[in-house]
Amino acid sequence: MKSPLFGKFEEPEDDEHWLGPIQRLKTPMRRFAPGDEVDIVIVGVGSAGGVLLQRLARAGFRVVGIEAGPFWDTERDWVSDEAGSHQLYWNDLRITGGAHPLAFGANNSGRGVGGGSVHWAAFTPRFHPSDFRVYSEDGVGADWPISYQDLKPYYELLEREMPVAGPAYFPWGDPHGYPYGPHPLGGPAEALVKGCTALGIPVCQGGPVAINSGSHGDRPHCIYRGFCIQGCKVGAKQSTLISHVPDAIEYGAEIRANSMVARVNLGKDGLVTGVTYFDEDGHEQEQRAKVVIVSGYAIETPRLLLNSACNGFEQGLANSSGVVGKYLMAQAGNVVMGRFDDPVRMYKYPPANALTEEFYETDPRRGFARGFAIQTVGPLPIAFAKQMMVAKGAWGWGMRAVMMDYNHWAALGLLGEILPWEDNRVELAEETDRYGLRVAKSTFNLHDNDQKMIAYGVNKVEEVLRAAGATEVVQEPRYAHLIGGARMGNDPSTSVVDGFCRSHDIPNLFVCDGSVFPTQGSANPGLTIQALAARTADYLIAEREAILTRQPRSMRGVEAGAPPIHYDLSPHGTSGRGVPRLKSRTPTPEIGLGGLPVGSKG
Amino acid sequence: MDNANTDLLPRNPTTGEVLPPRAQPGYYPGYSTLSQQRFWDAATHEVVLRRVHQAQPIRFFTPDEARLMEAVCARIIPQDDRDEAHRIPIVGPIDERLASGRIDGYRYEDMPPDGEAHKLGLQAIEAIAQHLFHTPFLQLGAGQQERVLKTIHDGEPPAGEGIWRRMSAPRYWMLLVQDCVAAYYAHPYAWDEIGFGGPAYPRGYMRGGQPEPWEVEERRYEWEAPEWAVSSEYEPLGRGHETITPGQGGSH
Ligand SMILES: Cc1cc2nc3c(=O)[nH]c(=O)nc-3n(C[C@H](O)[C@H](O)[C@H](O)COP(=O)(O)OP(=O)(O)OC[C@H]3O[C@@H](n4cnc5c(N)ncnc54)[C@H](O)[C@@H]3O)c2cc1C
Ligand code: SF4
Repeated sequence: MKSPLFGKFEEPEDDEHWLGPIQRLKTPMRRFAPGDEVDIVIVGVGSAGGVLLQRLARAGFRVVGIEAGPFWDTERDWVSDEAGSHQLYWNDLRITGGAHPLAFGANNSGRGVGGGSVHWAAFTPRFHPSDFRVYSEDGVGADWPISYQDLKPYYELLEREMPVAGPAYFPWGDPHGYPYGPHPLGGPAEALVKGCTALGIPVCQGGPVAINSGSHGDRPHCIYRGFCIQGCKVGAKQSTLISHVPDAIEYGAEIRANSMVARVNLGKDGLVTGVTYFDEDGHEQEQRAKVVIVSGYAIETPRLLLNSACNGFEQGLANSSGVVGKYLMAQAGNVVMGRFDDPVRMYKYPPANALTEEFYETDPRRGFARGFAIQTVGPLPIAFAKQMMVAKGAWGWGMRAVMMDYNHWAALGLLGEILPWEDNRVELAEETDRYGLRVAKSTFNLHDNDQKMIAYGVNKVEEVLRAAGATEVVQEPRYAHLIGGARMGNDPSTSVVDGFCRSHDIPNLFVCDGSVFPTQGSANPGLTIQALAARTADYLIAEREAILTRQPRSMRGVEAGAPPIHYDLSPHGTSGRGVPRLKSRTPTPEIGLGGLPVGSKG
Repeated sequence: MDNANTDLLPRNPTTGEVLPPRAQPGYYPGYSTLSQQRFWDAATHEVVLRRVHQAQPIRFFTPDEARLMEAVCARIIPQDDRDEAHRIPIVGPIDERLASGRIDGYRYEDMPPDGEAHKLGLQAIEAIAQHLFHTPFLQLGAGQQERVLKTIHDGEPPAGEGIWRRMSAPRYWMLLVQDCVAAYYAHPYAWDEIGFGGPAYPRGYMRGGQPEPWEVEERRYEWEAPEWAVSSEYEPLGRGHETITPGQGGSH
């Protein structure tokens, strides 16, 4: 084989900003003048922040996203290499404690435009309807102030915008189909499918995953290189960086990268006035705005609110309830590994490749509330060696020996619902970061229900691997996906924001990201985070008058019901794509334009 | 090959014969990720080649610490089965990380910062060597060195109390092993050893569990660690009675 499948490989020219091998960012980006008051400032351009920015810019708001990390050029900044991808994660110091301390960094948070969607595996299952009523149904956790039906239209929109590949019929929760076809199976997926089938467990193959199974606009399909968690240079895997940010910029949004927001400022009238941040050169700046949305994720969002304590909010901004930082969650993410006689070569194919949600719902016979999913993972060598250090106690010659067998192992992940507990929390530590801001300290303890669920779940995954033919099965306990820390609810004394992500305390302060989830289900959170961002944008659009006339107190509350859904704000070329039955309800201008792919216009 | 060295080498378990050091241990003879470098994108090429060609001067550890660290890492990831020319630097990348203050985004509340933890760990290892064998770690045989380290693996270090009051032994063990494997398995020689595909953009893969045209089929051979090795047995961290420290690698 003489040449790569893409043909001759081009290198970027000086003035080009690459977002995958085909898509280019059209420069220049709009720059608001210093001192300008904008309509909306978003703290953190990650999964939620990227979608918010795009929606709000398209709807005509003057909007700025301030992002602590870089504005990635996928060709220059990302590498097809495990160790070389270190800078994609939030690596600044956090202190971690409790009986079951969480690991951060590569384990759960991103930094840079796209946030965690840059390094996510891109599994995109929806939450189940029951997830929104955990307290009512099981007497544990909490209920959401919104229901599955409230989010469903946004799931459908985002599944097309990302877009999601998966089966035509997904049987769990609210059954539905996916716009793009499922992916072929890699080694771990074959093991999961084989094991589940042998045990009579229904299993879903080839998705749901936000990875192109066919080319989509100016984004190629997956080349099965397996480096999803290192950032997809191919542009096949969705990140808001490549799916929503280009559209946001085209519609006049500004992103200030490498800029760390230090605090949200409160005016005398009890409304927020904007944010103070450190710019690229480390200089302190202020950005005034009519509305502030904090989208910094489960650790940084509570940290920012706590660091923004001021007169009237001594225990943290928007924290009259005392709930900011509390009810932090992570999913049980135990990695269970099986050794097979035949080679598996799990470095190929996306790690997110097959799953089962058969154990998702509460089953009283199991002796614990709620449940878990089983999903494929595909650790590359360094991650696998670290897993073997824990799973087998490997080191020295034993490490060398088990690693020589790397190609014989398949890894599956438990994804279990740990419940929200008040003592699992984010607080401020005494230490400060390079900006002089106090860093976050997290405390995490497993409770009885969590431990029972993990023991049962790990056992089940082990059974599946054995049924698939594994001759040896070992496991590493760990956690995945942060959630909570600024939860939503109807009661201002027990929650931070309402069902529209608006803070109970301050009418023009919003929190919209993974931190607002009251519970986490056994589904990966990313799709729900992005769907919730689209819904929050629709609320802000519905309240445009109140925002632009600086009357945030007159914004409607949750009793007014859901905002109208905008089907016409999707990025170019995404509306109405995929299988016909998922077409937009309302035809959109994009379809009228002949469904031109992103970036091909003009 | 002199006798001292053959002691360190793996053997054929059937014949008992010593296996001489190779340029490329592992079951993929002739496989070379570096031979594919013209198919890698420029950014990846630069990062990987820098790793292969640039020896970093030691900046964080003192010369004495660096010598001890070399000896420790040589047991955490033994490379006696590799010929001199194909050994993978471990202490260099760890030193570079610590000197530039690069961390993984967190610190356990019962741990000092990573650099301090490594320095304290070396002192503790020396104290354990003295306690068990009345000899500096550097002068111990490889088997004795392994037994010193194994006490930390087991969560039962018999000396260095003052140090273990300042940091948790299991967490120090994980820090040490993780830093070593992160250096070793980042290297193309290690990829060749384990049959990992290496950088794969813009080319990608087509063949699932089967080797791609430029990969090779596995050809296994029998080998076992030298007789003195305790690290060849798999035993749970902390002998299993410690609540297991959760894993720290990112995979989902
Ligand atoms: C290895 C791995 C695999 C994963 N796989 C999946 C998966 O398959 N499916 C899934 O659904 N989820 C997955 N996740 C989780 C997913 O990535 C996160 O849940 C999601 O990205 C969170 O979205 P968010 O918008 O809440 O925050 P983020 O996407 O993390 O965005 C927050 C952004 O805010 C910025 N920021 C924070 N504080 C400040 C500040 N003070 N000033 C300026 N900027 C700030 C950050 O730099 C960041 O860019 C995975 C995570 C990891 C680590
Ligand atoms: S496997 Fe596919 S989605 Fe993942 S990084 Fe490679 S091309 Fe991108």
